[in-house]
Amino acid sequence: MTASRTTLALLLFAPLAFFAAFFLAPMAVVAISSVTTSDGALTAAHYARVLLDQYHWDVLWVTFRIALATTAICVLVGFPLAWYLVRIVRWRAWRRACVILIIVPLFTSNIVRSFGWMVLLGRTGLVNQGLMGLGLTERPIRFLGTETGILIGLVYILVPFVVLSVGNALAKIDTVYEDASADLGVGPARTFWFVTLPLCLPGAISGAIMVFALAVSAYVTPALLSGGQITVFSMLIFQQYSTVFDFHYGAALSVTLLMLTLVLVSIAGRIGDGGRRTA
Amino acid sequence: MIPPLHMRGENNMARIHGLATASALALAVTLAPASAQDAGKGALHVAWYGGNWGDAFKTCVADPFTKATGVPVVPEVGTSTVTLSKLQQQKDAPTIDVAWMDGGVSELAEAAGVLEPITQGGVPNLSAALPQAVYKNANGIYAVGTGYYSLGLTYNTKEIKAPPTSWNDLWKPEYADAVTIPSPANSSGVPFLFFLHKIWNAPAGDFTPVFARIKELKPALFFDSSGAASNAYQSGEAIIGAHFNVGAFDLTAKGLPIGFTVPKEGVWATDARLHLVKNAPRKELAQKFIDTALTTDASRCLAEKLYLGPSVKGVTVSQETAYRLPWGVDGTVENLFLLDWNEVNAKRAELVDTWNREIARK
Repeated sequence: MTASRTTLALLLFAPLAFFAAFFLAPMAVVAISSVTTSDGALTAAHYARVLLDQYHWDVLWVTFRIALATTAICVLVGFPLAWYLVRIVRWRAWRRACVILIIVPLFTSNIVRSFGWMVLLGRTGLVNQGLMGLGLTERPIRFLGTETGILIGLVYILVPFVVLSVGNALAKIDTVYEDASADLGVGPARTFWFVTLPLCLPGAISGAIMVFALAVSAYVTPALLSGGQITVFSMLIFQQYSTVFDFHYGAALSVTLLMLTLVLVSIAGRIGDGGRRTA
Repeated sequence: MIPPLHMRGENNMARIHGLATASALALAVTLAPASAQDAGKGALHVAWYGGNWGDAFKTCVADPFTKATGVPVVPEVGTSTVTLSKLQQQKDAPTIDVAWMDGGVSELAEAAGVLEPITQGGVPNLSAALPQAVYKNANGIYAVGTGYYSLGLTYNTKEIKAPPTSWNDLWKPEYADAVTIPSPANSSGVPFLFFLHKIWNAPAGDFTPVFARIKELKPALFFDSSGAASNAYQSGEAIIGAHFNVGAFDLTAKGLPIGFTVPKEGVWATDARLHLVKNAPRKELAQKFIDTALTTDASRCLAEKLYLGPSVKGVTVSQETAYRLPWGVDGTVENLFLLDWNEVNAKRAELVDTWNREIARK
């Protein structure tokens, strides 16, 4: 028994050491530099500079607005897609092909995919050519440098997370519940609303939380698709670390974003838990 | 004006160093056999940039160096700022011997105390370098340029027949929504503001008129990375604006209708510089490497491959390369607007902040 316990300890040690080295230590560096001055003295000045400035709240609002919209659209698009894959597709090979199609883009770097969108959404890009060809618009619509452009890029990148987590939840639902509901004379719409939806809500919420957290912290996609004309919070952080070299102020910005995101995510998590309990 | 930044960096790094040691220890246990580290023991470690820059540094400097000395070169790939943070972190026990960093970051590295003076005795070819390319302060020579690149006026030759002659052309109504200039996230962003400040004769230290005019500009985008600029010119999203001569002529070389011109006000330029790392483990070889980079052959090679304006005296290049140099066909280093980076670094935080508030929001 002791031997296996030692093995277990050793096995656990490796991931824990890895976690400490690559997650906790860098986090600690950021947290410490956010509350210290260049001389190492404790200070709240960096946080005061972040929190007492209306500008930062404006940027936070833009950031969270884009992230919330991304999350909502991802759920609205991802849910039916997951439903289609799990409930409608009967042919195994086709389902597998669909899942691969959803997953493969995740292997490509965000930079490349965002550059792709820059070309597609440009003034002379495919999207505008299509819209003008169909006579839907006379002049090219401006996507780059707008929140719509950023939204399109983020939704495209993040929708697989919803599909996978909702699909997983849907696949786990035992259809006897739905059969029972039908036996009791409830129509399909009400069955969906009162039985199926609550059962896959935890999956949807965990997918939504992933999307939201990734959208709030996304840098590459907003930086490229905003064309430098819209600022999201991660861009402010990047600037401090890469151009201005003020690691203390940059750290305070990072911790602020992290904390606010955690608050929102934990609220969402609570709603998810509530969903599970009532179900 | 630099000391606060310097101190900031140092204390930061001391702190990071402690934690980094702790995490390195944890990591060493996880990834015990680090034999890869021993492989590069006799080699010279040189920090340089990625992509075609790194390739050119290898062909033009590292390969001739290895041929002459028999010592292999191990590249440490990273942008200038990444290299600077590496140097700060390994300050007590450096593994990098020589580092390429751009103008601007070079001054920050000197202020952070990670550089060793380069001497004529150690690097005889120093006397072959242009006087402008030798950077010194009270401590001695802290950097030497290995080639200039500029941010010039770049345009789509299909859309714009006559080459533009002035930076002010960017404000012409016919180019509305199709213009691009660098954002402060790009290394040229803040210096470009200084350049505009100078060509518009704005009052000393006051950037209000510069921001006022940029606010009137109708851009397609403000580019963060040189790649984003290339992408915009390539797709036709931008038909006129600023771009590096290196990036613009890369597009031309691919057969795209892109022109690069030095307008009448001139161009802002900077350079890629070589630095000797303080307490470099292989100082002799490091000096020899810098010496190799300052030969006419190396300088010509960098000009042919990256269109870098030679920083070594008396370098002649092919006709084709000549018009791709940062100063244009007939120019010399005298035509470049080279900034005092210490001045730029001192105002950097303020200008980035103003840009965010004034320009980068709707």
